[in-house]
This record gives sequence, structure tokens and C-alpha cells, in this order.
Amino acid sequence: MNKHLANVNGWTISAVLIIILLFSPNLSIVLGIFSPASDNWAHIKEFMLLKYIKTTLTLVFFTALFTISIGLSLAWLIAQYDFPLRNFMKWALILPLSIPPFIGAYTYHGIINYTGVIQKTLRNHFDITPNPAYFDIMNIPGAIFIYTLVLYPYVYMITRIFLSHQSASLIESARTLGKGPMEIFFRVVIPISRVSIIGGVSLVILEVLNDYGVVKYFGIQTFSTAIFQTWFGLGDLDSSIKLAASLMGIVIFILIIERLLRGGKQYSYSTTKVRPLPLVKLKGKKAVFATLYTVSIFSVAFLIPILQLIDWVILTFGKVPMEDVLLYTKNSITVAGLGAFLIIVFSLVVGNFGRLVKHKFAKVLPKLTVLGYSIPGVVVAVAVITTFITLDRFLAPFYQAIGIDSQLVLSVNLVMLISAYVIRFFAIGYNSIESGFDKIGTNFRDASRMLGANSLRTFFKIDVPMMKGAIISGFILVFVDILKEIPLTLILRPFNYDTLATKAFQYASDEKIMEASQASLLIVGVSTIAIFVFHKLLREEPK
Amino acid sequence: MYMEINNLMFSYSNSSSKTVDNFSFSVEKGEVISMLGRSGSGKSTFLRLIAGLEMPSGGSFTLNGKKMFCEDTFIHPEKRGIGMVFQDYALFPHMSVEDNIIFGLPKMSRKEKIKRAGEVLELVELTGFEKRYPHQLSGGQQQRVALARAIAPEPELILLDEPFSNLDTDLQVKIRGDLRRILKKAKTTAIFVTHNQNDAHALADRIVKIKDGKIDKIGRPCDLLGVSPTEIPGMIEITYEELIGV
Repeated sequence: MNKHLANVNGWTISAVLIIILLFSPNLSIVLGIFSPASDNWAHIKEFMLLKYIKTTLTLVFFTALFTISIGLSLAWLIAQYDFPLRNFMKWALILPLSIPPFIGAYTYHGIINYTGVIQKTLRNHFDITPNPAYFDIMNIPGAIFIYTLVLYPYVYMITRIFLSHQSASLIESARTLGKGPMEIFFRVVIPISRVSIIGGVSLVILEVLNDYGVVKYFGIQTFSTAIFQTWFGLGDLDSSIKLAASLMGIVIFILIIERLLRGGKQYSYSTTKVRPLPLVKLKGKKAVFATLYTVSIFSVAFLIPILQLIDWVILTFGKVPMEDVLLYTKNSITVAGLGAFLIIVFSLVVGNFGRLVKHKFAKVLPKLTVLGYSIPGVVVAVAVITTFITLDRFLAPFYQAIGIDSQLVLSVNLVMLISAYVIRFFAIGYNSIESGFDKIGTNFRDASRMLGANSLRTFFKIDVPMMKGAIISGFILVFVDILKEIPLTLILRPFNYDTLATKAFQYASDEKIMEASQASLLIVGVSTIAIFVFHKLLREEPK
Repeated sequence: MYMEINNLMFSYSNSSSKTVDNFSFSVEKGEVISMLGRSGSGKSTFLRLIAGLEMPSGGSFTLNGKKMFCEDTFIHPEKRGIGMVFQDYALFPHMSVEDNIIFGLPKMSRKEKIKRAGEVLELVELTGFEKRYPHQLSGGQQQRVALARAIAPEPELILLDEPFSNLDTDLQVKIRGDLRRILKKAKTTAIFVTHNQNDAHALADRIVKIKDGKIDKIGRPCDLLGVSPTEIPGMIEITYEELIGV
């Protein structure tokens, strides 16, 4: 009997279909490169393209530099030292992740602009009228500042977990060789953490490339804004596909650099039972400095924007009708819930396929789907809309046959938006599910089958209950990401369909900063609760 | 013959040599067979082939007149009616002892299932442990629950993969005796793999010695291993590797 044929069953077919569905829209972008160029494209290529590349790379470079500096220093302080408030800061320093970059951007703009709390306090209480130019953050350095504040937790989180799993003997042997804390940090900690730093900073870079909200609000021309403008301003989908392809080129270039920097090593936590780093208790000035440093970062990145948002909510309470807020909340929860649910179901099917089918093909294929997360939202939007319009054209005779007048059905429907979420965020859910499958292994499954249970019963009675933690974590991560998402939702939502994120973004773009606060605070609140639950889950999960 | 294995072959895709090379032997009903061999000799793979968890590259296997595997047939593990006790027991951690046992029982009323679980728990002397969870049991108790779970559906054959490797030495000796008593009382045909010749000697009616993926010798314990090692004064527990001087 053919070994490979025996592997072909319902799981395999479903998994391969899901992978094709997730991957194929990206192909439309690659194919778009070869379509004939319009006049707009010639203009963009000659006068704009270089500028987009330069601005995008400047944002990427400096954000990477600052997030590494802050993320790594915090990770080292928390992993190695004990000081007042350390236990609270350990998880509080992750919280800025719950603030979508565009909310951080307009909140900070609101704090420091002419009518903001800082300039107003200086004018009213100290009689100082500073030059407004000093307080302008709506530029490239301002965008870098915002990105750094809300994205450093990626580097902090991954590096801290890595460092806390390292053997104490490494640091202790450096000490016995006469090295001081600074030398140990630069000569031992940074080199051993290289892979995790690169892992974290890659996520930061992908987020910067993906961002649309901050650069649009600050009026900075990058790929994201250019794709949007070419498409909606000039009505030139072909040129926006070419821009999307150029951006994809940059992403692939960065991913290759990342692989090279990792030196071919797969990033993974050390799982051997090594003696973890014992905490060094800081005293006196050093303890004060460590507490001050962590509290300052936490305040600037999370506490101050949140207090400002709360203040605005109190000031504008009732201005935005409650029924509208409830409707946006319901819409947000619906799309985020549906998207996360589908991603988890698909991840379970693809993950189970990757685990059970013993063929190289089954190991490589699921990795293709991870590409969706590397590709910026605007590019995914272009890919998805191109695919759905083609699909609608193909299905037009069928629509007519069943009595639907419109030519466009799927591409004006919530189905398109949810599909785009699934493509964009699949990797987040899949990673969680894959690690869950890795953790339980195949023995329980084998035992179940030996007790007469078929694949389906085994899956629902054994695999799913045992992976509860991974399923909930994956769901939370995807849910929060969709809740904060901007470009896909703005482009692909059905007419007049608003979520908390799109409404907050619209209010902020219309300079109704205070009105945006209610929706923003709800997003941040839900995300903070989700991060807290996730943190608790991780801590309580048996090793 | 109750069980017939002919020219069974298997190799992993990443290995050029055969992990199981031309295994042929037969087993009578109620017989307890020990597969004895060093680590990596292919004995655990053989067990997985019989269970249906791996697909052989050639040969055939018949159990109680039913073809389990041959050129054009492959019966999936859940349809074979074979029970298995895994090396790490693989007790479902989210189910109580009773639910672990009930999981494998064929369609019958809940009352009947609970009754059957009670019977097998009595057989392994664990009455009263029904509502406990696997993490609340000692290693020896877990091993007996795994055995009870495998026996409960009354399989035509039971496979045991290194059943004593996770137990400390004192417990091994006690459980070994218990296991033979339980298997014989339940009149179950069994194949167990081990690298420990004392286990093989104490438990098996016949021993199949495996070396480098091939069957080296088949025979009764007293013929292959001489007198029981535990009967020699001062004899300590030795492994197959030690026996063959590796």
C-alpha cells in the first residue's frame, strides 16, 4: 500500500485547501508586476518612488535602533536585578502594546500641541509662551518617537523571556573572570541575546512597514500612504499593485537580512532545565535609578496617554451618542471574534496536518501561510480586493441565475474583510496552535486511536481539551490585533460599517481628537484586559 | 495460529537501513511474548507497526484470522481491536481515572461502562481511585491505570512498550509480578518490548531477541537466558546491553 496515499484524508485535503486560499491572493500582487504600466506609474517611479523608499527606511532604521536600546535595557534590568516595583513593571512594561500606534500618535499630538495640557500649563501657570515649533511632533522624528513607545515591548518581551531562561553559570563565570556589569552586558548579554533581539526587532520593523495610521495622521509619505492614495485618489489599482509589490520586495529583503543575521539558527527558547539567573538585589542609588528608569518608560509609553484619554472621555462624555459607541463596539467584537475564530479553526486543521502527515511537503507548506503576517495590511488589502473582484466577475452568471442584480456581491460584503483578516493574521494564531501541538506531542493521540477513537473523535476529545491554553492564547492575540487594525478595515469594510478603530481614526483625522477618545479607550481597555489574561495564562500553564 | 507475521519490513524515510528487516513469527492465543533488544534495535518500531501507528513497507500481519496489513490492505489503528500501554502511559490528563478507562469502551450504556471500569480497576487493585486524576497518582498507579485502560475493551492483543522503564527498581519487581498475574487472569495475548532481560525472563512465555533490526533468536526464556537471573545469589538487575557486553 502506498505510504503517501495513506496520508491523504479529510485533514490533508482541508489543510491544503486552506493553505491555497490563504496564499493565493498574494500571488495576484506578484503577477501585478507584469501588467502594463500606466502614466501614473511612470510619474510615481520617476519622482516619488525613491522618496517613499528613503522615508520608509528612515522610519524603519531609527525605530529599530531605539526599540532595541529601550527593549534590551529593560529586559536586562528585569531579568537580572531586583528593585522596588520590579514585579509590577515586569508585566506592566508590556502594556504599551495595547495602544494602537495611531491612537498613541494623536494622543501625544493632543498633549503637546498649542491647546494641549503642556503648552496650556506653561502659558497659564508660568506665563511662558514657547516657540510652537519645539512642540511639533507631526514629522518623521515624531513618528519614530511614537513607534518606539508602542513597539519596544516586542523586543523587551522576547529578550526578557530568553534571558530568564539562560543559565546563571554564563553570567557567573563572566563575573569570576573579573568582568563588571557593563562589560557583562556588552560582551555576554548582547551576543547571547542576538537571536532574540533580531526576532523582536523584526516584528517591530514589520509593524512599522504595516502602519498606515501614524503616517497618514502625521502627513508622512510612505509606501502605505502612497498605495492608499494611488488607489483611492487616482483610482489606479494597477499602480497601487506595483507599489505594493515594491513594498513586498523591501519586506522580503528585510526577511532575508534577518535570516542572515540569525546565522542560520532557528530562534527557540532554551528548554533544558538550567539554573535560571538569580536576581541581584539593587540598593541605594542604583535601585532608585532602576525604578525611575522603568517607571519613566512605563509612564511615557502607557500611563500618560491613558490618563489623557480618560481626561478627554470625561470632558466629552455624551457628545458621541451612546448607541453609536455600542454599535461600533458590537461591530468591532463581531469582526474580531469572527476573524479570530476562523483563524483558530483553520490553524487547528493546518497544524494537525503538519503534525500528522510525515512528509516534507507537510512541514514546509504551512510555513507559506506565515508570509501573510510579513506583508503589510495595505498590500493584503490590494491582494484581497483584486482576488474578490475577479471572483465576482467569475460568479456573475451565477448571481444572475439566482436573481441578484448586482455584479459585485462578495467584494462589497463583510466576507471580504474577514478573509483579509484571516490572511493577514493567520500566522499569529497558527504559531500559538503549532506550539500547542508541539507541547502535547503525538502520544496521547496514538493512545486514543489505540482505544478505538477515530481521527475526529480524537481531535475533539483529546487534542482540543489538551490544547485549551494554546487555543485561548491564540484567540486573544488575534482578537486584539484585529481590534487595533486600521488599513484593512478602512479599505475593505462594507459601506457605512464602522468599528471602534475606524471611528477613532476618522475622528482623529477630522481633528476631533477628544471625540476619538471614547472609542480609543475602549480598544486600549479591551486589549489591556486581553494582555493581562494572556500573561496569567502563560504563567499558570504547566511546564 | 492466532497471530501471524510474515516478512514484515519498515524503514524511516531519513534512514538508508531497514529499521525492521524481514520479521516473521507467530503467536498463540493467550501467549505473552517479549521483544528483547538494545535501544535502537527496532523493537518499539515493531510495536508501532503492529498497532497500525506506522505503515510497513512490506510483509503481512494477520490477527485472529483477520488481515491487518498486506499488499492491498491497511486497517487503521482504531479498527484493529489492539490495546497498547505506552512507555509514558499517555493517560489523558484532563480526564479522571474512570473517564480514561471509559473512553476506550465500545457503545454501551453509561451504567455498563462504569461497571466495566470498576471491574478492570479491581483487577489492577485500584478500586476507589475512579475519581482521581492522573497527576494525583504515583508512577506505579499510573502504570496500572494505563494497563486497565488497555484491557477494558477486551482487545484481541495487547502491546506494552517498555512498561517498567519509568518505575524505580523496587516497584519494577512488584509490578512485574502483578502484570503477569493480570495478563494471565484476563487471558490476554500480549507482546511487550523491553531492553531488560529480567523483565523478559519474569513475564514472557517466549522471547524474541532483536539485533540491528533483525530477529536474532526466538525461544523460551530458560532456553535463551538460562536460569532466571534473580535466582542466582547476588545477581543484580542487568540490561540486554550488559548481557551482550555492549
